Amino acid sequence: MAEHTVASFDEDLRQISRLINDMGDLASSMVGGATRALLETDNALAQRVVSDDAIMDARQRELDDRAITLIAKRQPMADDLRNVVGSIRMAGDLERIGDLAKNIAKRVGSVGVSAAPRDLTHSIDSMAQMVLIQVQAVIQEYMVGDATALAKLRNDDERIDVKYTSVFRELLTYMMEDPRNITACTHLLFCAKNLERIGDHVTNIAENAYYVLTGTQLPANRPKQDETAMSAPAA
Amino acid sequence: MKPMLSTDLNAADTTVEKAKIEVKNLNFYYGQSKALKDINLSLPERSVTAFIGPSGCGKSTLLRVLNRIYELYPKQSAEGQVLLDGKNILDRSQDLNLLRTKIGMVFQKPTPFPMSIYENIAFGVRLYEKISKAEMDSRVEQALKRAALWNEVKDKLNASGLSLSGGQQQRLCIARTVAVKPEVILLDEPASALDPLSTAKIEELIDELQADYTIVIVTHNMQQAARVSRQTAFMYLGELVEFDRTEKIFTSPREKRTQDYITGRFG
Repeated sequence: MAEHTVASFDEDLRQISRLINDMGDLASSMVGGATRALLETDNALAQRVVSDDAIMDARQRELDDRAITLIAKRQPMADDLRNVVGSIRMAGDLERIGDLAKNIAKRVGSVGVSAAPRDLTHSIDSMAQMVLIQVQAVIQEYMVGDATALAKLRNDDERIDVKYTSVFRELLTYMMEDPRNITACTHLLFCAKNLERIGDHVTNIAENAYYVLTGTQLPANRPKQDETAMSAPAA
Repeated sequence: MKPMLSTDLNAADTTVEKAKIEVKNLNFYYGQSKALKDINLSLPERSVTAFIGPSGCGKSTLLRVLNRIYELYPKQSAEGQVLLDGKNILDRSQDLNLLRTKIGMVFQKPTPFPMSIYENIAFGVRLYEKISKAEMDSRVEQALKRAALWNEVKDKLNASGLSLSGGQQQRLCIARTVAVKPEVILLDEPASALDPLSTAKIEELIDELQADYTIVIVTHNMQQAARVSRQTAFMYLGELVEFDRTEKIFTSPREKRTQDYITGRFG
């Protein structure tokens, strides 16, 4: 893309783009840290994730300020306008991802994963890996401007939803087998739900990023797999 | 180059709305130099269309073809067709006075006549119609009300038109245009010499006038084009590059040249 005639306009846009990139990196590190803290009962790491959330909030406020100022000063049009408005929305989703990672981290003290069956932590671990890959990829693909990859990434969230359903069923089974599992499993259920919600925010980011890059919206409904059968959790 | 029109727009704009003016294969020459290249576009009735583009792109030239005002100057010629309600106004048999009552024009600089506010409006009407004093009074009042100027000048209709502020003078010119009951109003940078408040009044006026008139506006102010128009045509080097719904042009234009221009990345 050619430079603007007014060079400081490009600089303003670069600052916004840099903040999205930073927030994306921070979101990845928080999600990765929170799940590792959960699975390894690492309270120090959990504490770091909790305090990182304040940095995330500050970044979002900075981005909002810059975006609002840019709109007031430059009256952006076309791709610039989509970029600025899209960035505000993506920053909102990244900030929510930070909140959800913080929620997971805050449970580390009370879960006592050692009390939970080993197979279960394994399922949460693999779900967390799927989510983490999505969080990292969505900002990367936006930064390189790959709209096709973003559309695919949005569809990939379906796999996380399916995984969540299976983790949910697994947890129910453990709780029915032995009521002493109930406390740990309930906490883990919230963690799994938070991971699933993080996936949904990644989906939102992918949709926004796709619109910023192409000027067209992805279709409202992505293809759904059949996941009827027993006790599917409500979204 | 053919203008790109998205298909959904076509469905929305041309099936419901009748074209007031259709420009077909229009070429325009200043002497040997070709200023408009094979322009094709259709302006819907009772709607505002904006022409945008850098200086020298042909947008004012195109506007000046629509009422053949270019013929006031030597060595300027147009070929192709400009259909007003289906009738080619470039045809030699076209009565120019009649054409210019149907298609009024307002220029960049306010051009009130050096006469009273009342006479500024009555003068044009008298050229085409013989009406009584009472009818003329009513016509002047209606025109001034239509141009949102009546309340400011009703007590000083005999004052000189030149005594008004720039913004008021421009609205007087619009009143003068409206008084002869045109069908189309051409606005060539109507607010570029005005302060923001006067500009807002002109834009409000354009918004109201489109209920009764087909309006074409040339403007360098892109935000203004985005605010007032339903369709926008982007022109460059005498070509119509892109013509589409205004929202589409300003949020996701189809052509790279349009995008570069409206985002300030040109040249």
